[in-house]
Amino acid sequence: MENEQFGPPAAEQIYTLNLGPQHPSTHGVLRILLDLDGEFIVKADPIIGYGHRGHEKMGENRLYRQFLPNTSRMDYLSGMLYNHGFVLAVEKLAGIDVPERARYIRVIASELNRISSHLLWFGTYLLDLGGFTPFLYAFDDREQILDILDRVSGSRLTYAYCRFGGVTRDVDAGFVDMTRAFLKRMEGRWADYENLVTKNIIFIKRTKDIGVIDRELARQYGVTGPNLRACGVRFDVRKAEPYEIYDRFDFEVPVCFNGDALDRYKVRFLEMLQSCRIIDQALDHLPQGPFQTEKIPLKIKPPKGEVYFPFESARGLTAYYLVSDGGTNPYRCHIRVPSFGNLNVINDVLPDTLIADAISILGSMDVIIPEIDR
Amino acid sequence: MKADEMEKALREEFPGALFAVDESGRNGVRYSVLIALSGMRKAAQILNAAGFFLETITALDFSDTFELVYHFNCYEPKSRIALRALCGKDQTPSSLVDTFRGAGWLEREVHDFFGISFSGNPDMRSLLLPEDADYHPLLKSFGKSGDSHKREDIYGK
Amino acid sequence: MDEKVRQRGPGEPAIQFALLDDMLNLARANSLWPMTFGLACCAIEMMAAGAARFDLDRIGAGVFRPSPRQSDVMIVAGTISRKMAPAVQMLWDQMPNPKWCIAMGNCAISGGPFEYEGQYAIVPGAHLIIPVDIVIPGCPPRPEALIQGLLALEDKITRGEDRNLLRRFRRVRKEGSQ
Ligand code: SF4
Repeated sequence: MENEQFGPPAAEQIYTLNLGPQHPSTHGVLRILLDLDGEFIVKADPIIGYGHRGHEKMGENRLYRQFLPNTSRMDYLSGMLYNHGFVLAVEKLAGIDVPERARYIRVIASELNRISSHLLWFGTYLLDLGGFTPFLYAFDDREQILDILDRVSGSRLTYAYCRFGGVTRDVDAGFVDMTRAFLKRMEGRWADYENLVTKNIIFIKRTKDIGVIDRELARQYGVTGPNLRACGVRFDVRKAEPYEIYDRFDFEVPVCFNGDALDRYKVRFLEMLQSCRIIDQALDHLPQGPFQTEKIPLKIKPPKGEVYFPFESARGLTAYYLVSDGGTNPYRCHIRVPSFGNLNVINDVLPDTLIADAISILGSMDVIIPEIDR
Repeated sequence: MKADEMEKALREEFPGALFAVDESGRNGVRYSVLIALSGMRKAAQILNAAGFFLETITALDFSDTFELVYHFNCYEPKSRIALRALCGKDQTPSSLVDTFRGAGWLEREVHDFFGISFSGNPDMRSLLLPEDADYHPLLKSFGKSGDSHKREDIYGK
Repeated sequence: MDEKVRQRGPGEPAIQFALLDDMLNLARANSLWPMTFGLACCAIEMMAAGAARFDLDRIGAGVFRPSPRQSDVMIVAGTISRKMAPAVQMLWDQMPNPKWCIAMGNCAISGGPFEYEGQYAIVPGAHLIIPVDIVIPGCPPRPEALIQGLLALEDKITRGEDRNLLRRFRRVRKEGSQ
């Protein structure tokens, strides 16, 4: 990195910067050891585990039902999706039937949660880049979703709404109206966001061609979700291995091809529109009927065996790997988390970028640290 | 389908391997292959060449042995392949980090939780636990946990 | 006494001859600068409290500072893992006096859902490593709860340690309870 104008530096020196674990842009408790050559990063070594809470061990010594609330605390931004995945995994393992109405309600709740997760990412990412206004806008919209979910599940963030064999509470007409009103409101908002952010030249300059991940690198590290779709791979678990009733809806999987921070932004943005489409269709077809299967025992005892249940959380391919020994607790409860690969890849992305861009890249990856640490 | 091609290739490479096929993917995994621990690197190379990615590595702690489970997937519908290998309590499996760069962290995690160290991984610091941790929490002998079983109790012979 | 003054009710005179401490406490209480410091899920609710709908600025506590050296209240929002505990302690030590600590959420109070016999991963309660002034229960507490907690802290600060000369807010408090 020799500078022609000023000649070589007096002394070549690599120095180490400790970013985190308390740093406003690390979104949780991530620590990165950066070796710097001037403004450029030579080597990045993320140190994780500052949010390790022992979820997997808890999975082993709790009943299936007792572990359910834990799932939404792993990735607290998309807690409903994690909930949903876990009940599906256990239902598959134990062979529990779910009424149609409950399936639709779950999908609506999950997709609402996906939008709220992306909105929060949208706000905080722009906050990292120095724009405070979108943060307030995004949180305002997000509150609308939280109101809806709060109404049915009783919680704003960490839900335990999906239960084995159904959901805890039925939705009423008010829920449907609120959701429709939200969709209507967002129609106008997308255009606002587009004008305010997507076309903003400062934003584009800070994200275009920054932190490029190509397909091969993404595959090497097991990157999934919007980060993968931003490098041109049309892979979404909702399409590839349709779980629940996702095969009944008409939606697209948006992809972009450059793999830079701007594309990751675009993919998430388009994904929110698709989620709105799914919700709209699900509301149209919401059937009447029971919302719960009767007589699910308190202590579920699935037969011996195992299940690996993949689903698409807001951050990518997530999977529960449950091994049952026929008892009331899982013998092993492993969770494949998407942020793991998505963070791991910055080992190779950060070198040779400017430290100011590192913040932008990190923000654009949308990692949730307690999910990695579990 | 890549997964079917891989099945053939793996059958050729490992004649003694045990295959569990699940066409419908009921358990999320299409082909589950139990191979010898020493063959893992070779198998991973085959999958790598075909464009698979490594989803996760985990281990199961049985009273008689560990079992390592590697889940691979490619960007096609329903083509997940699980490679499994028994790993004795004092064996050191070899690392996949030169095949899949993302394997390094996954192996460090397994090392944290089970104390299995991988030979060939240049960086075996603890990942999730504190640096000075000398315990392996997911072992059945650690802390409060359910009974430990033999492998055959769950999976049969 | 002047009629106007009498209308203000007892205990709130128009002119106050306060000790300097009390004046300072009044100033401190109404411009709390929390530290931007999220550990887990509860941090999201802390952010929500600072954003559009709940707007912590209304009570003068919306200036989140990224550095411990500029802040005077630490909101421990989330689970303190064993690995994180030394860092939390160090951050607390770096904050200049006077400083206060709010334990937000069950995890910071007592370990919450992660405390059970034989757990290995977390420190069950912020009070084990730093002095805590206010606890806000909930998993996660709603933003309203955080606001109430901050108001309670303001109350506590304006009251000083043992004097009760100056109180801007007089909230209903049951006899004998905190
Ligand atoms: S109290 Fe609940 S919401 Fe808060 S950090 Fe702990 S688990 Fe998360």
